[in-house]
Amino acid sequence: MPDSLRTNSRTSRKATPAAKSKSVALHVIVIAGALAMFFPFLWTFITSITTGAGFSIAPQLWPENPSFEAYQTLFTERPFARVVANSVGLALVTTVVQLFTSATAAYAFSRLPFRGRGVIFAIYLATMMIPLQVLIVPLFAELKAFGLLDTYLGALLPTFASAFGIFLLRQAINQVPRELDEAATLDGAGHFRVFTQIVLPNIRPALATLTVFAFMSSWNAFLWPLVVLRSAELQTLPIALAGLQGQYTTAWDVVMAGSVVSILPMLALYIFAQKYIIQGVASSGIK
Amino acid sequence: MAISTIGISPTNTATPPPKRATRAKRTSAGYVLTVCAFLLPSAIPLALFVLGPMLAAAWISFTEWNLITPMQFVGWANYESLLADERTGEVFLHTIQYIAGYLPLVYIGGLALALALNRALKGRSLWRGIYFLPVVTSWIAVAIVWRWLLNPNNGVVNLALGWFGIDGPGWWTDPDWAMISIILASAWKDLGFVMVILLAGLQSINPDLYDAAKVDGAGSWSRLKNVTIPMLSPSTFFVVVISLINGFQVFDQVYAMTGGGPGGSTQVVVQQIYDLTFRYGAAGEASALSWLLFIVILAVTVIQIIGQKKWVHYA
Amino acid sequence: MKRSLLAAGGILGISALLLSACATEPASSDDPVTITYSNFTSAGGNEENLQTIIDAFEAENPNVTVDVTTLPYGDYFTTLQTDLAAGTVADVVDTNYDFFPQLASSGSLAPLEVTNPESYRESLIDAYSVDGVSYGLPSSFSDVVLYYNADLFDAAGLDYPTSDWTWSEEQAAAEALTDSSSGTWGDHQPVSFYEFYKVLEQNGASFLSDDGTSVAFNTPAGIEAAEWLTSKSGTVMPTIEEGQGTADFDTNLFLEGKLGMMHSGIWVFGALADAPFTWDIAVEPGNTQQTSAVFSNAVGVSAASDHIAEASAFAEFLTSSQTMIDVRLDSGWELPPTSDEDQLAVYLTKDTPANRQAVFDSLDSIALTPLVENGQQEMQDIVTEELIEAQAGRKSVADALASAEERINAVIG
Repeated sequence: MPDSLRTNSRTSRKATPAAKSKSVALHVIVIAGALAMFFPFLWTFITSITTGAGFSIAPQLWPENPSFEAYQTLFTERPFARVVANSVGLALVTTVVQLFTSATAAYAFSRLPFRGRGVIFAIYLATMMIPLQVLIVPLFAELKAFGLLDTYLGALLPTFASAFGIFLLRQAINQVPRELDEAATLDGAGHFRVFTQIVLPNIRPALATLTVFAFMSSWNAFLWPLVVLRSAELQTLPIALAGLQGQYTTAWDVVMAGSVVSILPMLALYIFAQKYIIQGVASSGIK
Repeated sequence: MAISTIGISPTNTATPPPKRATRAKRTSAGYVLTVCAFLLPSAIPLALFVLGPMLAAAWISFTEWNLITPMQFVGWANYESLLADERTGEVFLHTIQYIAGYLPLVYIGGLALALALNRALKGRSLWRGIYFLPVVTSWIAVAIVWRWLLNPNNGVVNLALGWFGIDGPGWWTDPDWAMISIILASAWKDLGFVMVILLAGLQSINPDLYDAAKVDGAGSWSRLKNVTIPMLSPSTFFVVVISLINGFQVFDQVYAMTGGGPGGSTQVVVQQIYDLTFRYGAAGEASALSWLLFIVILAVTVIQIIGQKKWVHYA
Repeated sequence: MKRSLLAAGGILGISALLLSACATEPASSDDPVTITYSNFTSAGGNEENLQTIIDAFEAENPNVTVDVTTLPYGDYFTTLQTDLAAGTVADVVDTNYDFFPQLASSGSLAPLEVTNPESYRESLIDAYSVDGVSYGLPSSFSDVVLYYNADLFDAAGLDYPTSDWTWSEEQAAAEALTDSSSGTWGDHQPVSFYEFYKVLEQNGASFLSDDGTSVAFNTPAGIEAAEWLTSKSGTVMPTIEEGQGTADFDTNLFLEGKLGMMHSGIWVFGALADAPFTWDIAVEPGNTQQTSAVFSNAVGVSAASDHIAEASAFAEFLTSSQTMIDVRLDSGWELPPTSDEDQLAVYLTKDTPANRQAVFDSLDSIALTPLVENGQQEMQDIVTEELIEAQAGRKSVADALASAEERINAVIG
């Protein structure tokens, strides 16, 4: 933890009342805010253990007969384990590939000047500016032409590059001082070495951030997997969750159980990735 | 205060490399290959799976198509009818209202969170995890809870307002307040996202800058204003650009919380695009509308990219 | 030489004829065939029931395998339209009554030669025919009835609803049952397009003009019907601010014993099975006439299918086989579209509600969803939106209907 950002603890060592009350106030606000953040998740969980849950307008604090029946239903009557495995697999592949395609493009946009680079970057950004709802029909027809409908690859291909990730990493690479590059270049390193040995290690927080977001966007993706994946063995979590709602009626406890199951892996990944997102400046080698 | 000038380039003491060598390097075949090697992995998927369909969507915008029967070419008719329809202006207005409320809220809230959780605080990792929870919770659950919180009759918010003698509004049941309800729920949900981005940015600020500031006698507010915010500007730039691009395409939360109502008061552009394509059999008009949206987003983004020289400080 | 040439030519010619005959003939019963079926009706809890029916079909037709895709109801039509646009429609597809006309008129469905038309309820099989030719086969139906909490009626000393009731009796009972001190409400009826065209007919009005190119509900009778719907809010039914209109709101209120009557579909029987009070159903009261709403689903065969014969056979099995009837009746998965009253008698003897006969009595006079050539969905959205404006008090009922008329005529005309 950088020394400079420890100022508050240093002053509180003097235990001035002002600093102490400031710290207390901060803790209170953070905790209150966290409770507010936690509440919907708590409610989702409570609904999932309330058997035959209606969709009451007022979330109950604790159900009368809590049971995990809904989770049982989820995994025995519906092939949820398979669905979770599909989502995990697709998200992992998407994340790894996006890290690669984003880092390489970001390096080019930050460190490899060429004529028209600005225009190309604008075109890259432009790919984020048309909603998927409109691209879906042509994209579907295209993948049908490639013979990739109802396949994992068909679901994955459009996710392999993301202007979001490229933009994120470009900003991060721009923050890495060029002096580091130059030091390596003087030592005889080419772009590839600079990329892998200088730039990448210095943007670890951004890489960890992108890991979380890329995984999340794949994990929660709905519209594209809906139209391209049809077989029950291939469908992903969001589709399965939507399928828990019937034409006329819905078992909300099962739906909420599905939501809980859906949240947990994402949360685990985020907590794990936090370590890398929060990293001391000492390791970035500026000195 | 001289801090801002120090802040711009902390280690700009090195001499720039000789220009001639750089230029020669730039045009060599090896360099071209290098650029291609770094760009192709992303260029190919983007071209094939985004740009290609975008062009197809452009073609579709010049046709009348209900997806079921063959397309019919109609030239500019879709664009003309969209520009003449007051509904188009309405959906753009609602979208802009959303952005105008959402962006400041989520940025300031996310920044406050990032600053708070960046310092020594008990259980910091736990708090960061909890603040990120809404980001990964589905909109189904979030929408239900927020509709409950903002329930005009017995929701927590109106009850609390009642203690102060304020008559709470109808929130999501009231056309004048429905969009505000969506803004509150969205900003709340995305706080964790902004927090994560800004936390990463805060981590890369050189602590020497803070030390120098303190040596100059700067208080914490001044350090915030003159060191943190400028040095955070690349991350801020990213958050603003992405939030605007995504904000113009807002859909999930509107669909989950109000479905575009009440009385069409929260109908946003992408909801309209979806309805036109899959519910009203007007895929051509939907494509035209999405290209109008594209032009708006592009213009806004280009303005920001050009403007970044004025306020974004890179290392 | 010539003779051998002739012979060769003859052999070739005969072979060619034979080959072409084989090619145009439907696949012989020995060739294994796989057909695809894309559905939404089994989503949300009936996937195993569907599989039972499919297994029975495959047992009777060993050379046919059915590949089933199940999609969420809310997103099914997005997928179907994407398939239609790209030419990847399944061999057999689900549809509901609302979407059927678009499918049929676009030539996407194959005409069906039904081997046993009498086994279907006449009104249902007619609903999916065009000019006497079946393009879809009804797979199930549900209708909307009036539920009532018998205990609440007893406590208030009121007579139960009967099939002779009209709006005025319903209104009187609703007012008597509404008690703000105990938080009890008298009568819940959703405010939506699907309720509106039905109450119009209950009041002798109609939704569309005879030629179907403009609406016909902006009349005094129409306004009266709309008021019947919208005035319940805040008087005998909670308001939107209190949660009315949210998912399952009415069912939950009813289950809590806080609702005297509710207009809902027979699909709620299952949810109410364990209610801690006595409840029953009655045919929905009308005003000048009794009319009830019926919803049905159907299956069609894609005109582009390579296996129309097998697909048609499956469609018929899915919609008329004994297996299907048994599965549906046993599991309460909507109602089979069968005309065989004896089979349905089984349904009548099941547990609550006691007056299951009302489900079938309601079929005597039904209001079908008004269908237009262009702008069906838009029309429905406009009606629901304008009615809710009236319900919320932001517009008068007369203004809401006038505005709806103007907007809808522009879309469907």
